[in-house]
Amino acid sequence: MIYLDSAATTLEKPGTVPRACAWAMTHLASPGRGGHAPGMGAGELMYQMREQAARLFHVDDPERVVLTSNATHGLNIAIRSLVGPGGTVVISGYEHNAVTRPVHAIPEVKVKVAGGPLFDSEGVYAAFEREVTPGVDAVICNHVSNVFGFVQPVERIARLCRERGVPLIVDASQSAGVLNVDMEGWGAAFVAMPGHKGLYGPQGTGLLLCGSQTRPVLFGGTGSLSAQQEMPDFLPDRLEAGTHNVCGAAGLLEGMKFVARTGAGRIHRHEQMLAGRMMDTLERCPGITVFRGNNGSQSGLYSIVLDGLDCEEAGAALAKRGIAVRAGLHCAPLAHRTAGTLDTGTVRFSFSAFNRRDQAERAAEAVRELVRAAKK
Amino acid sequence: MVYYLIICRSLTYAQRTAQVLERVGIPGWVQRSPKLISKEGCGYCVRIPERRLADALTVLRREGMSPKQVFLQTAEGEYSEVKS
Repeated sequence: MIYLDSAATTLEKPGTVPRACAWAMTHLASPGRGGHAPGMGAGELMYQMREQAARLFHVDDPERVVLTSNATHGLNIAIRSLVGPGGTVVISGYEHNAVTRPVHAIPEVKVKVAGGPLFDSEGVYAAFEREVTPGVDAVICNHVSNVFGFVQPVERIARLCRERGVPLIVDASQSAGVLNVDMEGWGAAFVAMPGHKGLYGPQGTGLLLCGSQTRPVLFGGTGSLSAQQEMPDFLPDRLEAGTHNVCGAAGLLEGMKFVARTGAGRIHRHEQMLAGRMMDTLERCPGITVFRGNNGSQSGLYSIVLDGLDCEEAGAALAKRGIAVRAGLHCAPLAHRTAGTLDTGTVRFSFSAFNRRDQAERAAEAVRELVRAAKK
Repeated sequence: MVYYLIICRSLTYAQRTAQVLERVGIPGWVQRSPKLISKEGCGYCVRIPERRLADALTVLRREGMSPKQVFLQTAEGEYSEVKS
């Protein structure tokens, strides 16, 4: 199989990741719950994981690194921490349901969409300049669109938010592990990311980097201040009720070590190279619309639309040929609406450090075959 | 042996405290706080040798990590709070 759905989950992991998960399962217990070796060992592993994340993402204090179940979990905490009923939020035009649904669930919330044209960083920035006004409770923006790979101008948006005193939440789901995620430099209130995509950890892991006051969404035991009924007012305990996913954290630590060893920039260039080669081929083929950015406005993932062929049917046909891709709306109807593909959906191709050039070429050829067959 | 116990608000904070001390050559062991002195419920502390308390407090203050409480643990297993 040629797996080109790493924007959902990277399937091939460094060998150290599953080994660490399996080892943790039988050697480590609950961190913060006991003074015995398996308990303290779990605590040590959690601390190493936080430290590794703090180094990768420029967080000044490992206590500000919170283990979550996924990016969605982190985004829910971040949004609930900053936005109350009747609040006002500015979001980009490329947000995932992981942002839009939690925002929508807040009673009487006012949502302003800073939507700019696809791959037009200036246009997107101008939209944020217009919408980020006094009284806005939070700005939420993904670093990279999960549908089109559009790299949004997060650095400039962060500066704008700092200047206007509005807290910023960054969804780094598609950028963590490939682009520079700079918590300190951005001065973000929160940065949320999954562990199972570009960080090569297992499913069921995520990180929330916290630079703001927090409000828990889950309440329970933390192994600290157990005589009181309020959640602790310090991190990470405040946001980590219940037993941790220690096996997941062990794998995530190894995944992050892999990224640090390999270099996020190198992984990014590799993925861009593969995406670029495939897009070069497909752009020459009549009947295929390739959504392609330029001047560094696109990460190593992209979408296409095939004339006369339903995107889900195309995805299924590729799966039959042993090529795993993601078709449809990618849980991001807002992004499709902004780009004008809400009615058709798209077929998305996304890469990882483990994909090879010949796989990209074979996948491109398979898409061309589909188009040829559809024309007959 | 006599030790000092630096009480920490959480396991993570205790680990950070021990790490800061270790960097300047002060050995610190993270352990559960004895129930007798842990009035707020479960918690963790960093145990350091008797003679290193002053150095440890200086380093922690410099790092902006002043301890919540410090206890002396005697060889008999008794605890008394040290006002720093």
